[in-house]
Amino acid sequence: MKVSESYYDELFPFLGQWDMESLCGLKIRTVDGKTYVIVTELYQENPGSSVTYTGEYLKQQICKAKGLDPDKIVYLECNPNTNSKLSFYDEEFFEVNFAADPQSRYRRLSVDEVKHIVG
Amino acid sequence: METIKMKLIYPKWKKLPGQTTFNLPPHGPVAFAATLPEYVDIDFVDENVEELNFDDPCDIVALSTMLSTQVKRAWEIAAEYHKRGKTVLAGGISAMLHAEEYVNHVDSLFLGESEGRSEQVLLDWKEGKLKKVYNFLGKQPPIESVGPCRRDLYKRELYNHKGVQMVDLFHASRGCRFSCYPCAVSYLGGRKFRPRPIDKVVEDLAGIDNNRLFIVDNSLAQDKEWEKELFRAIAPLKKKWISHTIEDDPEVLDLAAKAGAWYVYQAVYDTSDYIKERVKRYHDNGIGVEGTILLGLDNQTVDDCKRLIDFLGEIDLDLAEFTIMTPFPHTKAYDDYLRQGRIFDFDWNHYNAGQVVFKPAQMTPDELQGVYEYAWQSFYKDETQESKMFRLFCNVALREMNEGTYRPRNRALANKSFGKDVDRSIKTHQNAF
Repeated sequence: MKVSESYYDELFPFLGQWDMESLCGLKIRTVDGKTYVIVTELYQENPGSSVTYTGEYLKQQICKAKGLDPDKIVYLECNPNTNSKLSFYDEEFFEVNFAADPQSRYRRLSVDEVKHIVG
Repeated sequence: METIKMKLIYPKWKKLPGQTTFNLPPHGPVAFAATLPEYVDIDFVDENVEELNFDDPCDIVALSTMLSTQVKRAWEIAAEYHKRGKTVLAGGISAMLHAEEYVNHVDSLFLGESEGRSEQVLLDWKEGKLKKVYNFLGKQPPIESVGPCRRDLYKRELYNHKGVQMVDLFHASRGCRFSCYPCAVSYLGGRKFRPRPIDKVVEDLAGIDNNRLFIVDNSLAQDKEWEKELFRAIAPLKKKWISHTIEDDPEVLDLAAKAGAWYVYQAVYDTSDYIKERVKRYHDNGIGVEGTILLGLDNQTVDDCKRLIDFLGEIDLDLAEFTIMTPFPHTKAYDDYLRQGRIFDFDWNHYNAGQVVFKPAQMTPDELQGVYEYAWQSFYKDETQESKMFRLFCNVALREMNEGTYRPRNRALANKSFGKDVDRSIKTHQNAF
């Protein structure tokens, strides 16, 4: 279940829940004047907490490391396609608004939106 | 060092209605106990089989929890001990899964594996420097340091049903290289398979005063050479054991049978010939099969589930266990359902795999609950779960008699079931569920 390198430009080590050493894929794109930070879950390659479980704490770490203003980025979580027979591992992208209540915190991007942002 | 009297508690949880209840001697508390220094005098209480007396004298309390359905009870226990001015420590699988909440209820939370680390916690406590969290997540100790569990702490007569001793739990490895959708083991024990040295396994197994075991490792099918070496090494012990999946390889299955494989838990996830033949290959080697069937996956409709349940009648399973998909924290299922806003119940008492806590993709929660109940009723409609278990028991007893290892049941406990008097009322199949 190796995640394709096409999903990320770099591997980003981060501290997960309880500062557990963790790893995700990271891609930063500027499209139409907006900065998109795209974090990709690496499954077996991630020794610690998932990007979803770590949530806003991961966003803070990336913004600090990359000198980004957290209020001026669009934060996306990517559930990469791993060519598994199981549908749970199909590709999905979510825009995350950590200020929203849990039921509406995640918005799944359409295929067109993904193409526009990621290419 | 002055003796420390520790009350080590395994909290109770509400058992699922309709299913035969068997209380096995818990593994986590005695694995933790083995890591404590000799000057700790441990009084172990398993609340599932005995009453907890909060006023028993002790210096410190330790809670060990495995299931999500134990955590709220653990917090109640901690509150009672806090009223009595006691310090409460906690650890275990569900302490790690629910750590953010757990830490608010205890004086100190231990995350990770405790080999080589417990004494420091006690020294800190003695010096008044107890930390709120001892965090060893992702920092596993050397697997060689895992020693025999403190099984001497069990009150053996309580893990006994009508004179038959329950199996002892045992682990030959930790960690898991798989990332199965509903499972958190790779988060808890690391994403690397960490087999224990074979000589340590044999030494540990030989020391267990029980000929029947449950090897609780997530999957033994992670390193074929180690697996073969393990089976060759434990065969002379003539123990009989239950385990999760074994490698689907003729040589491995043959070695497993010779090493005492009694029955295995095998996931039944579709109605394919592969599953049918997989079950047959176990049976051809004299190994029984308990099918584990997970209901409520996103690719399942009500009809799919019913087809799967009906299929079980064609594959000659010895037992079947049905569970409802449950998004335990730190699983991919949890992340997916959380993102999709599909988890509607965060009451951890309901995370028992028999109650729907999320919105399934292709049916309503009520429909999934109905399918689950249909599954249990349908599979056991002609022969109860207890009766099927008895047949498996007879199989193993016969094998033991042939090998001269059979231990007759304890007649003195024939009218006891897990410490309580046996209920001799007769159940019909209809009201058994």
